[in-house]
Amino acid sequence: MPQVKIIAKNFMDMVASLPEFKLDQLYDNTFICEAVLRSLPALGKKYVLQLLFIEKPVPAKAIEEWLLSNGVSKHRVAIDRLVQLRVFREIIDRKKDISYLLNTKFQSNLQKYIVKGGVLPGEPMPSSITVRLPTLEELDAYALEQWEVCFLLQLISSSQAERPTNFSSSMMTIFQRGLLSQRDKEAPRLTVHGFQFLLMDTNAQLWYIIREYILNSEVRGVDTADLISFLLELSFHVSGEAYNINTLNEFQRNVIKDLADLGLLKLQQGRKESWFIPTKLVTNLSVTLSDSSSRKQGFVVVETNFRTYAYSASKLHCEILRLFSRVEYQLPNLIVGAITKESLYNAFENGITADQIISFLQQNAHPRVAEKTPSVPENVTDQIRLWEADLNRVEIVSSNFYEEFPSRDVFESACDYARENGGHLWEDSKRMRLIVKAEIHMQMREYLRRQK
Amino acid sequence: MAGHGEKNRPSKKHKSSSSKEDQRKTPTNREEEFNYVEDFEEDPREEGEKEGKKRDFTKLELKPDHDNRPLWACADGRIFLETFSPLYKQAYDFLIAIAEPVCRPESMHEYNLTPHSLYAAVSVGLETETIISVLNKLSKTKLPKEMIDFIHASTSNYGKVKLVLKKNRYFVESPFPEVLKTLLQDEVISRARITSEGSDGGDAFAISKTLGEMDGVHDELLNGIELAAAAEEKETHSFEIDPSRVENVKERCLPNFLNYPMLEEYDFRNDTVNPDLNMELKPQAQPRPYQEKSLSKMFGNGRARSGIIVLPCGAGKSLVGVSAACRIRKSCLCLATNAVSVDQWAYQFDLWSTLRKDQISRFTSDNKEKFCGNAGVVVTTYNMVAFGGKRSEESEKIIEEIRNREWGLLLMDEVHVVPAHMFRKVINITKSHCKLGLTATLVREDERITDLNFLIGPKLYEANWLDLVKGGFIANVQCAEVWCPMTKEFFAEYLKKENSKKKQALYVMNPNKFRACEFLIRFHEQQRGDKIIVFADNLFALTEYATKLRKPMIYGATSHQERTKILDAFKTSPNLNTVFLSKVGDNSIDIPEANVIIQISSHAGSRRQEAQRLGRILRAKGRLQDRMAGGKEEYNAFFYSLVSTDTQEMYYSTKRQQFLIDQGYSFKVITSLPPADSGADLSYSTREDQMVLLNKVLTAGDDMVGLEQLEEDTDDIALQKARRSAGSMSAMSGAQGRVYLEYNTGRGRYPGQGQLKSKPKDPTKRHTLFRKRFG
Repeated sequence: MPQVKIIAKNFMDMVASLPEFKLDQLYDNTFICEAVLRSLPALGKKYVLQLLFIEKPVPAKAIEEWLLSNGVSKHRVAIDRLVQLRVFREIIDRKKDISYLLNTKFQSNLQKYIVKGGVLPGEPMPSSITVRLPTLEELDAYALEQWEVCFLLQLISSSQAERPTNFSSSMMTIFQRGLLSQRDKEAPRLTVHGFQFLLMDTNAQLWYIIREYILNSEVRGVDTADLISFLLELSFHVSGEAYNINTLNEFQRNVIKDLADLGLLKLQQGRKESWFIPTKLVTNLSVTLSDSSSRKQGFVVVETNFRTYAYSASKLHCEILRLFSRVEYQLPNLIVGAITKESLYNAFENGITADQIISFLQQNAHPRVAEKTPSVPENVTDQIRLWEADLNRVEIVSSNFYEEFPSRDVFESACDYARENGGHLWEDSKRMRLIVKAEIHMQMREYLRRQK
Repeated sequence: MAGHGEKNRPSKKHKSSSSKEDQRKTPTNREEEFNYVEDFEEDPREEGEKEGKKRDFTKLELKPDHDNRPLWACADGRIFLETFSPLYKQAYDFLIAIAEPVCRPESMHEYNLTPHSLYAAVSVGLETETIISVLNKLSKTKLPKEMIDFIHASTSNYGKVKLVLKKNRYFVESPFPEVLKTLLQDEVISRARITSEGSDGGDAFAISKTLGEMDGVHDELLNGIELAAAAEEKETHSFEIDPSRVENVKERCLPNFLNYPMLEEYDFRNDTVNPDLNMELKPQAQPRPYQEKSLSKMFGNGRARSGIIVLPCGAGKSLVGVSAACRIRKSCLCLATNAVSVDQWAYQFDLWSTLRKDQISRFTSDNKEKFCGNAGVVVTTYNMVAFGGKRSEESEKIIEEIRNREWGLLLMDEVHVVPAHMFRKVINITKSHCKLGLTATLVREDERITDLNFLIGPKLYEANWLDLVKGGFIANVQCAEVWCPMTKEFFAEYLKKENSKKKQALYVMNPNKFRACEFLIRFHEQQRGDKIIVFADNLFALTEYATKLRKPMIYGATSHQERTKILDAFKTSPNLNTVFLSKVGDNSIDIPEANVIIQISSHAGSRRQEAQRLGRILRAKGRLQDRMAGGKEEYNAFFYSLVSTDTQEMYYSTKRQQFLIDQGYSFKVITSLPPADSGADLSYSTREDQMVLLNKVLTAGDDMVGLEQLEEDTDDIALQKARRSAGSMSAMSGAQGRVYLEYNTGRGRYPGQGQLKSKPKDPTKRHTLFRKRFG
């Protein structure tokens, strides 16, 4: 099974990893140029603007002269990124001197943008048609609900979802790959990665899913570059405004349905027209994920008696807590549970580690207890670790079992041989039985054959 | 298994009385019941788990301003309280009056609304509508209908009827004449009624006004709601009943008959028949706020209510008892569990009250002080009063005196350990106007809570342990569970089927545990100059440990004099800093000097025992400001529970800690004791020594290595039990004798101890094991 690496990489990393021709193709779109510019490190942005109206290659040495002495490492990062995104083209002349040239498409698009000013990707529909638009709060609530309750819940436990999304089961399986593991006939279980996924903040989770969505676009017969450029374009729409669906092409309309399922857009239908309203989830898409402004407020209180009180009405939170604790009471805005040995063993069995549980509890500590050090009582964290350590005391060594030796001599020499080769694990001299490590099994067999 | 341990116990004392022989069977049974009822403790939360019942109350409607309200109430009676709410203090006082606390750690408390707790609420003067409206005011959600119905159903009958003893006439009193009519329809009650002359004996009841509640605890909450009725004068209706039929009437009113349980109140100020006892609190006796509060619950309306007050050990229960006696100022009978605590109670009365020494008399098998004067305080044990057999002439006289007297206050200590039938007996024998039960750990799961409720009265007050710790009233105890891995050899034996009876001995005698214990004793004696109690239920282990470490021990068969001698030495001598106790030390033995407990074996999963043992070191020591959070000696008491890993003990240990954990204590797990770099000089460091020990355990008889069966041995009953078993196991007595012998000769071996002790403690020197990991 392919190991899924969950790194909170951002959209631009994805863009950077596209093949050259696709990347060049992307820069046809002004919005992508803008998004790329936004995503650059500060120094990178500066270089782009400096060179925006220069149409000749600029020697690397000239650029280096702009630097203060302590800026070298930042400079390296910026240049690397620019080259990686093919914003800069590296030109090496005969003297092996390096100079840089701005990507022409990128340059002309940005020039236009700066000179003429930005245009919105699509005109919002007049409010006379879209009479009742949701307020921004309603929209946020909708996005969160759609994302957490509908999508994530379905993702981690399909049976729990009350309103399943329209994703095909094959699509869902793609999302679940690496996050859930399924043994035959058993209900799928969350893997280590799956748990880690749940611990990430919404933007990171969203990015993970979108990445999977993009990576698999080819399989669905969708052009990756088209998809990326459409997604980036969407991220320039204004959250809360309505945009007409009719202006979209067939492919884009399909994408929009999927995105609505994730809570990135809200679809509405008027008498004649239908339109979509971007939520803040989609407008955050192109934003670099390093800023943690979206850090959610903690909600869990863990007491010294191993009881957990989660200030949350979210079903998803409830499901997450259920992964390692026993949920006892559910109140309108409180989930009461207890961390027990059994509940933890359950979690460990699913591959969730003590450290993950503890970091979840610490990261999501309710503001009331978050100021305290430690935010999760020490005896609880100790105990969680001890219970885990307790389970790991048994080491499994694959081995082979020998019995029915023809004679005591053979048995004893076999034991000696195993010992000499460092593979002796256990012997019962009374009944002449022997266990050796599997790695010397072949040698052992060879040896015994020779004994005959 | 039962009875083995004590059958072989040598006799300490020979009593001459043929009557003792006759009593042999009954007390044995009684003793067992006395000690082992707690085996059946079950945590109801576990039941819930088994059923896999999930309680989904998400449909409850949140109030818009729910952030400002402190609690959630569930349909099944569970209540969650935020302790960080600005309304916490009021909500806490209210909840503790109406509900049973389930757990009270730092941020969130849980309570259960039960019929008993509501009975208690009603009996301290809260009314159904008040309960519902205040609860509704505090709740973040609309109250579930089920809860409202439950409160109505539970309180409709409770607290409606009072039994009042006025000028030695018993009256049944109620503000609701229709209730009295219902009662009178009962044949027993109507026959017991005394109709006053002049009235036509019909439905007319005497009407009088009584003072309403005086305590202002809920005033803040009640303000604004028009439920101030509690503080107003009320009309009450009453009829008189025949004093000789009081018991029958009370019985008819119990839940299984008419279900109008009667509250008992004593109008002691108007009692002119019983002579006053001139006693007052000495000026230096200053009850603390929570003691005052508990007393105000008891004397809320100017009368004395019967009931139970729950305070942690070491929080000054005796002062509450003495204060109550001082308010009532009538003769007081005080019941304790054993002779040692009788002495302590007598001492407390002498210490806190202005009574003369001759007004306080003790009545135990060793100490039969004659009661003189027309009023006074008698301190005795439950066993002495309830004893059903023939007594010595002297005892008989005193008992007769107790029987015939009318007591103003019946003060009962440690009510949680006394079985119900014993109470019945005691209560039938003694006529008292008011009964006050005191305890630290009212473990609620057993059925006996029901009996206590109706035999003594409802729970009047229960203190929050953590609040008392925060206030510096009781010691801040650092609890630790020390994991001692079984040695290979011991574990192999432990797993063998034929050793099933020796399992306990094997895990208690685990050499690693012994070494951990020795290490801790050394550490605390030498580094901190602490006073240590080591608890072991297993007599074999107790003897082995004490002998090997040359420390004195006290167990069931240790005589009263010897105990006193050892405890005195422990309190005063700088050379005696560790004492080994069997179960006898669990309750009542007051050793205020001790601040470290090491528990090497215990009684299965008994949460109560764990709490009682912890209570031995709860008495706060040192200066108040040092003890407060952040003070120099934030932790100055240590509780270690030594468990052998991978054995039953681990399971029990978790169960045992539940009560304390629910009170907000946390147990830190220590896995490597003694630390890897030390321990070579401890006992059993070689495999040979360990094998010798193992052999000793294996060759000991099964009966020897079991639990100590006998416990409350202080009186006629127990003492003669010990006598009966004389001679059956000389080995035990021999071993026991040796302990003291070696202790005496061993004194010279620790010449440095005295100096160490007198050396001023360095408060910055925190126990290395407890240094903050995150510091």
